[in-house]
Amino acid sequence: MMDGGLSAGTPRGTARPNVLSWLRRLQQYALKETLIGYGLILPSLLVFLVFYYGPAIFLLYISFFHWNIFASRSSFVGLHNFVVLANQPLFWQSLLNTGYYVLLVVPVTTLLALGLALLLREARNIRGGGLSQALVFLPHVTPVVATSIIWTWIFDPNFGLANAVLRVLHLPQLGWLASAHWALPSVMIYTVWHSVGLYTVLFLAGLSTLPKQVLEAAQMDGARGWLAFRRVVLPLISPITFFVILLATITTMQTFSQIYTLTGGPHGGAGGPAFSTTTDSLLIYQTAFLYLHFSLASAMSFVLFMLILAVTLVQKLIADRMVFYR
Amino acid sequence: MAKIGKYLLRAVAAALMASPIYWVFVIATGYHGAAYALPPVLRPLFHWAPFVYVWTHTHWERYVLNSVFISASTIILVVVTSAFAGYALAELKFPGNSAYFYASLGVMMLPQQALLVPQYVVMFHLHLLNTYAGLILPFAASTSGIFLFRQFFMKLPASYREIARLEGVSTLTYLRRVAVPLARPAVATTVLLTFISSWNQFQWPLIMTNSLRLQPIELALSHYMQTYQSNWRELASAALIALLPILIVFAFTQRHIVRAVAGGETPQKE
Repeated sequence: MMDGGLSAGTPRGTARPNVLSWLRRLQQYALKETLIGYGLILPSLLVFLVFYYGPAIFLLYISFFHWNIFASRSSFVGLHNFVVLANQPLFWQSLLNTGYYVLLVVPVTTLLALGLALLLREARNIRGGGLSQALVFLPHVTPVVATSIIWTWIFDPNFGLANAVLRVLHLPQLGWLASAHWALPSVMIYTVWHSVGLYTVLFLAGLSTLPKQVLEAAQMDGARGWLAFRRVVLPLISPITFFVILLATITTMQTFSQIYTLTGGPHGGAGGPAFSTTTDSLLIYQTAFLYLHFSLASAMSFVLFMLILAVTLVQKLIADRMVFYR
Repeated sequence: MAKIGKYLLRAVAAALMASPIYWVFVIATGYHGAAYALPPVLRPLFHWAPFVYVWTHTHWERYVLNSVFISASTIILVVVTSAFAGYALAELKFPGNSAYFYASLGVMMLPQQALLVPQYVVMFHLHLLNTYAGLILPFAASTSGIFLFRQFFMKLPASYREIARLEGVSTLTYLRRVAVPLARPAVATTVLLTFISSWNQFQWPLIMTNSLRLQPIELALSHYMQTYQSNWRELASAALIALLPILIVFAFTQRHIVRAVAGGETPQKE
């Protein structure tokens, strides 16, 4: 029982050598330095344990136990919460909405960010180049509620800018946030606007590390324009592209504030019209904090947790085949 | 020709991205009904009277002070905990050093939306609901802060610490007098990034408080938005209150912020 493989270097079988080598390994640490080290990591460790890792483990517990925040007792109910969840049409609707939202926002944001980065790349040393980069990035640091206010005005069906632009272009007027068809796309437009600057900056950082010699060599060999971009630049920045897609997917799967604010806030029935903008995180919020159904909400949270984990792993597997690490 | 085209394209892209924020100014400081004018008004008139009216008719000063207090406390705590942990990870040898490094990175991998329910329960049992502490403590440590300080301390010459030890200087004094002052760019980056995320905080206070007294600016704004639905000039003025501090800070530090976001690389010159 003792030789649980504490050190892999010593032969198995007897307990003593393992414990000894383990102690020997401990000896290389000075006691005082160790204590100071633990003392220094303690404050942040406490925060991470109490507010992040603790709740993550606790989530497992409350999804499988019928659990009430005011009751002291709870009992194991196994998959009961998940069965109830699977019978909620709104839950499936929220997954569909989230999928629709993610599958449109992530590719659009990534392509737009790459385009903007290529456009801004040479501008860094030109007058005004820094300014355009700053303006593209600016929306990302703005508070979501404050900027959602102006976007609800833009999307106003009667007086808004969006319909004014459509009128000039002789296109049909849209209901935007008031229509079940266009409400989620309206939120998508806001999200792209709010986040594309971040990914542009990440792409710019990736582009700035490209080795000059490789690009020059490609040009010497006659690779220019589109060909050079596709065959040389794109493979070289593939690690950044992977990172951007991963980050964008994980972030958009969890969009909350702009959906809540743009589609109605606390009394206006956020998630509407007709549940067309009810995504997973909004439904978790409403189930837990509006309808106070904590066990159902934690089952949903568990599903979301697993979904994000699965998406991350799948993307990692794809990336291992496609990403070119120098 | 292609150069001019690119120049124009850049200008158009930048203008499009910035225009919604510009429009907050136009509507907030425009004439009455500017938001309903078609075609839309393009020029701000700088009538500050409506802004002053909005400011004086709601307790914005309370909400702004709440946000300032929460941001300032969070920033101070994050700098301290990050400098501590960053120093321990970079300079000290103790069992679990690299494990803690990965554990702190792992926090970023936890999906925030999936944790809200259990976090609420934890906050309930710690009696942190409806308290300032509940709005500050969960953000008192930051992965990126720890990472930044660690990177910076690893670049410090080992001889500094050697000399400090020979002189009998304690670790805390060494951190306070030598290491942290030398890591000023890491401090600046941590302060800026923490300020932005803390000032923009919305969902956490929405869930963890229900008292008006504790509301930070974004939450107050969300409630105001419900009451003054489509009174665009009032709404835009109120939005300006939340927006202005961010815009001012960004105007002076945008280079630093952009570089920090692009991979934690800190500027060399101070």
